[in-house]
Amino acid sequence: MSDTDVPARLDELQSRIRRYHQVELEAVMEVISYLREDGDRVIFGGSLTLGLGNARSDLDVLLIGPPGVDGSRLPLEHWIDGLRVDVWKLTERLVDGVFLQVERALASEGPIDGAFGDVGEQADLKLLHRIVSGIQVEGEPLELSTRLGAAELARDLVSREYGERMRDSAYLAQVGAATGHDLAAAVYARGAVEEAAHAALAGMGVPFTGDKWLRERLRDFPEMEASYAPFAVLPEGPGTSAEFVAAALATCREWTGADLAAPLLAARATWRLGDLRLMPIGDESLLLSVELGALWSLEPAEAAAWQRFGEAGAWPCEECDAEQDSLAFALHVAGVAKLDWSQGLDLERSRLEEAVSA
Amino acid sequence: MRAHDVDARRYVWARGNALWLMGPPISQWMEDLEGAAAEGQSGLVRHVARQIGETCAAMAVLAEKREKPMPGIRCRAAWALARTEGSDVHEECLALVRGAAEDEPDEEIVDRCRRLVAVLQERVGTVPNVLSADGYYPGMALVRDWLELLTAVGEPSILPSEWTKGAEDA
Repeated sequence: MSDTDVPARLDELQSRIRRYHQVELEAVMEVISYLREDGDRVIFGGSLTLGLGNARSDLDVLLIGPPGVDGSRLPLEHWIDGLRVDVWKLTERLVDGVFLQVERALASEGPIDGAFGDVGEQADLKLLHRIVSGIQVEGEPLELSTRLGAAELARDLVSREYGERMRDSAYLAQVGAATGHDLAAAVYARGAVEEAAHAALAGMGVPFTGDKWLRERLRDFPEMEASYAPFAVLPEGPGTSAEFVAAALATCREWTGADLAAPLLAARATWRLGDLRLMPIGDESLLLSVELGALWSLEPAEAAAWQRFGEAGAWPCEECDAEQDSLAFALHVAGVAKLDWSQGLDLERSRLEEAVSA
Repeated sequence: MRAHDVDARRYVWARGNALWLMGPPISQWMEDLEGAAAEGQSGLVRHVARQIGETCAAMAVLAEKREKPMPGIRCRAAWALARTEGSDVHEECLALVRGAAEDEPDEEIVDRCRRLVAVLQERVGTVPNVLSADGYYPGMALVRDWLELLTAVGEPSILPSEWTKGAEDA
C-alpha cells in the first residue's frame, strides 16, 4: 500500500474505533507512550486497519525500535475503555532477521512447513503483514537487508505457505475419500479450497488477515465467492466425499494452477510414524507409542499391512497399497502419523495471476 | 476426599488441555461471533461457528474419554466427532462443523453456539479470559498453578508455543 493512502486509512480507522469504543487515536498514542524510544516507528495493524474487524476486534500496534532497546515477541495488552490494544515492541534487527529468514526459505526447495506460523499460530505470517499492510504513523520507512522488498516477501510467503497447506489437504482428502473416511476427507477438501483461496488472494496482493476473515474477503471477488459457495457446507452421509473432493481439487487448480492428483503428490510424500511399534501379544497385535503413551489394537489385515513395511517408521506414500493407506490415514486422524514432504510447492506468481484472472 | 478414577498423568493432561488449549480460544471465538453478528459479517459468523463446533467436540472427548493423543487442528474435527457419537452434544457439534446454511439467520447461529459452549463449560469448567481486562492477571496466576501440576506428572506445557517462543531473540 502506498504512503499516499495513509491519511485516508487513518481517518477510516479513527472513525471506526470512535464508533465502536468512543476512543481517539491520540489516546492510544498516549497509553503506549511509556513504551516508545527515540527514533522508533509506530505502525497500526490488524483487521481494523484493513476495512475488516468489528466492535470486538483489537487494535494491533507495532513499535519497531533501534538496536539496543528491549523487545518482546509477546504482545503487551492494554485496554482503553472497551478497546484492547496489543503492542509488540520489536527491534529493527529482529524484524530484518525475520524477513531474511523468509527470503532464504523462499529461495530454498524445501517445504516451508509452517516455519513462520502454522495452522494454530500464524505468528510471523501475521507480523510480516502487519508491517507491510499496516498504517505507519511515525518514524522512518523500514530498511531491510533483503534483496526483495518487504511487501513482495510477505506476499510470496503466504502464497507458498498456503500453497503447501493446500497440497497437504488435497492429498489427505483424496486418501481419506478412498479409504472411507468421509468426514475427514470432506473437512480436508474444504480446507484445500480455503487454502487455495488464501494463496490466490495473496498472489493478487491482497493483505493477509488470517483464516477467519477469508469469507468476508471473498465478498470483494464475486467470482471466487461463487466458486467457493458449494464448499461452505460439507456433504452428509457415507460415500459422499469422493465427488466433493474431486470438485475441490478442480477449484484449487482453477485458482492456483496446481495439479493435485494423488499419484503426483504421493511421489513427494512420506508418512512419518514416530516411535510406533507392533507388539504381538498372543493372538493380538498391539501398536504401541511409548512417546505418546498410547496403544491401539490392530485387526489381522491391519497388522499384515504394518508388517509389509517392517519397523521402518517412515512409509513412502507412492509405495503404500490400499490397506497401508487406510491404516496410515487412520493413524493420522488419531494424531500419530504425519505427512512429510520432500519439496516445497512454489506456486508461480504468473500462474496464480493467470489462474485468478481467468 | 474424592479420588479421580484415572491415572493422574492422563487426568492432568486431558483436563489441562480441555481447559487451556480449548477454553481461551472458545472465549475468543464467542467474542468474534458476537462482534461479527452485530456487524452483519455472516461469513465470519459461519467460520467461527465451525471452530466452536470443532473445539466443543474435542473438549467433550477430553472431558469424557480422556483420549490421548489428540491430533493437530486440521483433523481434530474428524477425530473428535468420531468419538462423540452417541453423546448429547454430537449432533450440534457435527452440524456446526459441517457449516451453517447461508439462509440461517446469524443470530440463530450465535444462539446455537452459546448453548453448546454453556453445556461444555458446565462440564469442563472455565478459566479467566486472558484477553479481557479483568481476566488477564487471574488467568496468568491460574495457568502457573497448572504448569506446576503438569510438570509434577511429567507432562509438557500446555501453553501455546507462541506465548513462550522467541522471548530471547526479541
